[in-house]
Amino acid sequence: MLRRLREDKSIQGTFLITPTLVFMVGLLIIPLILTTIVSFGHRSADGGVIYAFSFDNYLRLIGYSTQCDNGASVCFDPLYAQIMWRSFSLAFNTTVLVILLAYPLAYFIARAHPIRRNTFLFLVLIPLWTNFVIRVYAWMMLLRKEGVINIVFGWIAGMLHIPFTPLEMLYTPGAVLVGMVYEFLPFMILPIYTSLEKIDNSLYEAAADLGANPFRTFLRVTLPLSMPGVVAGTILVFIPVMGTFIVSDLLGGRQVILVGNLIQRQFLDARDPTFGSAASLILMVLTLIVTYFYTRKFGFGEEIVV
Amino acid sequence: MKKSVVWKLLALMALASMLVTACSGGAKPAATEAPASKKVTSTGYECPEPNPRVQVTSKELNLFVWTEYIPPDVQECFELVYGIKVNRDEYSANEEMYAKLSAGGTSYDLVQPTDYIVSLMVRQGLLQKLDKSKLTVMGNFDPNYLNLSFDPGNEYTIPYQAGTDAIVYNADKVKDPPKSWSDLWKPEYAGKMVFLDDSRATIGMVLLTLGYDVNTKDPAQLDQAKAKLKELVPGIKLFDSDSPKTALIAGDVDLGMTWTGEAFLAQQENPAITYVYPTEGAILWQDNYAIPKDAPHLDAAYAWLNYTMQGDLFWMMLRDFPYTNPNKAALDFAKTNHKDLYDAYMNSPITNTPAEDIKNGHRIDDVGDALPLYDQIWTEIKGGQ
Amino acid sequence: MNPHRRSPFILIATILVYFFLYAPIFVLVIYSFNSSRANVQFDGFISSYGDLQIVNGDVTQSPCGPFHWFCELSKNREVINAAKNTLTIAFTATIISTIVGTMAALALQRYDFKLKAFSQVSLYIPIVIPEIVMGIGILTLFSQLFSLLNNWLNLAGDARMTMGLFTVILSHIAFMIPFVTLVVQARLQGFDKSYEEAAMDLGANEWTTFQRVTFPMILPGVLSGALLAFTLSLDDFVITFFTNGPGSTTLPIYVYGLLRRIITPQVNALSTVWISIVFIAVLLLQWIQSREK
Repeated sequence: MLRRLREDKSIQGTFLITPTLVFMVGLLIIPLILTTIVSFGHRSADGGVIYAFSFDNYLRLIGYSTQCDNGASVCFDPLYAQIMWRSFSLAFNTTVLVILLAYPLAYFIARAHPIRRNTFLFLVLIPLWTNFVIRVYAWMMLLRKEGVINIVFGWIAGMLHIPFTPLEMLYTPGAVLVGMVYEFLPFMILPIYTSLEKIDNSLYEAAADLGANPFRTFLRVTLPLSMPGVVAGTILVFIPVMGTFIVSDLLGGRQVILVGNLIQRQFLDARDPTFGSAASLILMVLTLIVTYFYTRKFGFGEEIVV
Repeated sequence: MKKSVVWKLLALMALASMLVTACSGGAKPAATEAPASKKVTSTGYECPEPNPRVQVTSKELNLFVWTEYIPPDVQECFELVYGIKVNRDEYSANEEMYAKLSAGGTSYDLVQPTDYIVSLMVRQGLLQKLDKSKLTVMGNFDPNYLNLSFDPGNEYTIPYQAGTDAIVYNADKVKDPPKSWSDLWKPEYAGKMVFLDDSRATIGMVLLTLGYDVNTKDPAQLDQAKAKLKELVPGIKLFDSDSPKTALIAGDVDLGMTWTGEAFLAQQENPAITYVYPTEGAILWQDNYAIPKDAPHLDAAYAWLNYTMQGDLFWMMLRDFPYTNPNKAALDFAKTNHKDLYDAYMNSPITNTPAEDIKNGHRIDDVGDALPLYDQIWTEIKGGQ
Repeated sequence: MNPHRRSPFILIATILVYFFLYAPIFVLVIYSFNSSRANVQFDGFISSYGDLQIVNGDVTQSPCGPFHWFCELSKNREVINAAKNTLTIAFTATIISTIVGTMAALALQRYDFKLKAFSQVSLYIPIVIPEIVMGIGILTLFSQLFSLLNNWLNLAGDARMTMGLFTVILSHIAFMIPFVTLVVQARLQGFDKSYEEAAMDLGANEWTTFQRVTFPMILPGVLSGALLAFTLSLDDFVITFFTNGPGSTTLPIYVYGLLRRIITPQVNALSTVWISIVFIAVLLLQWIQSREK
């Protein structure tokens, strides 16, 4: 039997993939099937599931409502669409900002002396090894009315004799964006670095020889070749941002519900697992669709990390 | 990276984890070291004798309790005196505890549900009836905290700590302090308020201003509450059910809705912070001990309840946690032995809620199938902007 | 070499971004010496050594001086236990998921077999699934499984199968595998097979070729995947909360619960210790590497 394993390629492949399949099917696909079944059910009085085959939860999510203000029997309730859109915008804005900030840093590291590169990379990773929530709390300490940033600005204003009222930075959408960008920046730096590092120096020399100025070199050589890294980084940033709610909770003062909050609430506070399951599935499907089209357009992230 | 470097890195990490493991060895309580007469904790506290001492064969006890709600000395004394290893898992919301317990597969001996979730847990068969013959500590409690609506006859729970949700404000910053929940709608407070991120508590508060019951299931009343709450929301700076005192102390907000413990701690940091019971009535709450259905170490659970709630141990709650203490024996012990703590507790209207305010208060209870209505309101006021 | 790689714009941007990355870390470390227990504002360092004195919520004197919170931390059994669990879970899950994920990457990249498309798609699920769905789903699954097994094998009391460290490790492996696979797959994509072919021509069998040629060449990818997986495991809260059991609390759960109730500088002290360990490890690594060159 071992010999067959050695020789038959397809059996080798199956052998290699089996442990993964066991985990994926056992711990993910089965719960996912359960979730799907539950999403078609109804909530029982105490928050359990009454199994049925009903689209009520999905209709509710896309805005089908029978409680209409103008007396009509059916109207559109944009509540969940708004929540979904808000999460999407936040994820999009975060990703764009993250790309803008990550690129120069990744470029710098890629062009640095080989021995020091690892150090620079580790320096990027180290903040990730503190606790996620603590990092967000640190931002609260920085941004609040009597926080570090306002204190520093106050000193400076005092020295320059300018009147200064503390900035209200915390509990605003801006704070949420800053927090999100901060949390996910390293996940974009690494993939972009990887792509940039692989670019052969001879390409730059060739471009220079052909008379291209640095800007054109960047536009025609560097940028396209680093796209796989950007794509990979986008996947690593966009998708988690859609689901993260701790940042918006702490830095935004819990004023705004995102998709992640909505789903979490359904399973815990509202005790409506049927609606929560439906919302999760819609989120997953939308995310997969967006990812699919994105990778089709910009190419699959060929080099993700190193 | 070169291979040898990799191995060195892995070795370093393994070394680090070994160091951490070694550290923990030094901190374990020495259960067999102290002489049979007196057990002393690592902070030097002399543990009282269990009265009465019960027979226990279990070697472990699994607690599933609120974060930071049991004085370390109490747990250590129990471990020293009974020689039982206590495993403590924690949660920071009743819903988390409920979700874990109702999914099954867990093996906890004790949980600490708050009043509103007890009836739900009983209906779902998650709790077992208490064997009163094994509970010697029942006589320790103030009768005002027994036999309440959520557990008549205390068949499933015994009281742990209690408190209220009421109005808090910074007297230095708020010149015209609020006296009722409806006062909070005043335009001059806009942009300076913190409210609980708890749909039942906050919507309940709005219902009270309309003269309705906090546990109403009437959709028409809830609709009115939604409209009224929508007027308030633009003026709310943040919702916080984790640590509302932080925003108060830091000056990000000047007033709002919070609960006993937070108000007390905020007042410690800034004496100008004041707690006031609104005229419509505050919201009362109570945390309790309960035993889950499949508790594997029942004898240890009863031993824990009987020992840790003795007056000469439970008084520590006055020292460590600023809540209302339903345990009369603990208060009596503090009165004789820790007078300053006792006085501080009794003199503060935060921990020692005046009787009329308790009578005037309202308790949140489970609303069954009306719960999604409350959640829908919450989602709308937070999601539809 | 690109003559303009030392552009000042890049350098300034780099410094600013590093500053951005470390500003909160700096604040965290400073606040771990905060005398204020409520840790909302920085009330100064604890200056005097001596018996513990607390005035108005500020620690004015402590046996450990400014390192008061670090001392408290070392006495805190819960934290040390949680740290132990977190590291155990992270290491075990990383090792297993790295092996399994690398195997999967090889399978998907180089072989054709019946379930290939299904496997590729299923690997995306842990990335897009909301954590609470995965956490509750796995919990439900395990609890049904355990009740079946407990009844079938007639287990009772402490012998019963329940959630614990084991179930947490399994769930972590489940969400770590796709990341490892993705990373190693990427490394395999640009792979030059000629080295392997040369080795085989020289008489090496498949296993030896893998050991001596393939594996060293994909090692950077494997290590990156492992590093990424390790990082994800260290910080996981939601899934761990639902799949753990008595005594298997991890640091993220402990910290998150603590932050929701009482925030003392002890939590900052924990972060400072953690960061210091990592910094020292990195510096050592750098020193070792420079010595080898």
